[in-house]
Amino acid sequence: MTEQHTADPALTELDTAAEQLRAAVAKQFSRSLHIRTIDTGSCAACESELRMLSTPHYDLHRLGFFYSPAPRHADLLMVTGPALRVMDVAVAKTYAAMPEPKLVVAVGACPLGGVYPSDEFAHGSVDKILPVDVWIPGCPPSPIALLHGLLVAVHRLAEKVSTMSFAEAR
Amino acid sequence: MSVWFLRGIRRGIVTTRYPARPEPSTAALPTPPIFRTDLLTAELVEQLIAVCPSGALRREPTHLVYDVGACTACGRCYEIAGPAARPSGEIELSAVAREHLIKTIRIGEAGR
Repeated sequence: MTEQHTADPALTELDTAAEQLRAAVAKQFSRSLHIRTIDTGSCAACESELRMLSTPHYDLHRLGFFYSPAPRHADLLMVTGPALRVMDVAVAKTYAAMPEPKLVVAVGACPLGGVYPSDEFAHGSVDKILPVDVWIPGCPPSPIALLHGLLVAVHRLAEKVSTMSFAEAR
Repeated sequence: MSVWFLRGIRRGIVTTRYPARPEPSTAALPTPPIFRTDLLTAELVEQLIAVCPSGALRREPTHLVYDVGACTACGRCYEIAGPAARPSGEIELSAVAREHLIKTIRIGEAGR
């Protein structure tokens, strides 16, 4: 118990520093964020939704988000698919090529571990190969869900799901 | 101020920061379920777990563990749950931590 008490302040200090750093990064990105997408074996439904974001109806540019053709220009990596092992090198190179600070968003049920198990072909979820900052569920997530996830990633909207119980009694 | 912007406003073209009101097209989308705790029986929970193709449901002694992240909103649980599950209508499900998506749902009196 006493050990815990002595360890707590240092941990809290570290936590506070991490939170401050996270907020500073989000502020830096909040009006201009360049996105690189990588497909690690998705069925392309998520890609279809990602592409819809740049149509006039959803128009991600109005929010200060842009797709980048190269990871070297990207601030945020959107990962789709169940992290196939054959994509390990490509994922590692893409992530390494992005300048710091960088964010990772897992898009869809595949990278969240809902569709494929971990086996000799796939890792089964993206957190096994990348540090994920925001998780967007859905199969596929609708463009609105993707926009919400991006705004959560740059601290412009609050996360909603932690307040939902998915249970009710009557 | 740019002329194109003022013209846009006059003609009723609106540019919002984020959908200011719920997006109408999302009403038709499949969404993850909300479970009725009072109607969840042990038997029904076993059936739900068996029918879930993405392994989003798991049983613990007094709780049903529901992983919203793994759920593909396929709707198979609605078919067998009857009134015990309904679509949540919720699509803004992004989470900053994976564990925020894992929900423990108490199984009702009938389930224990």
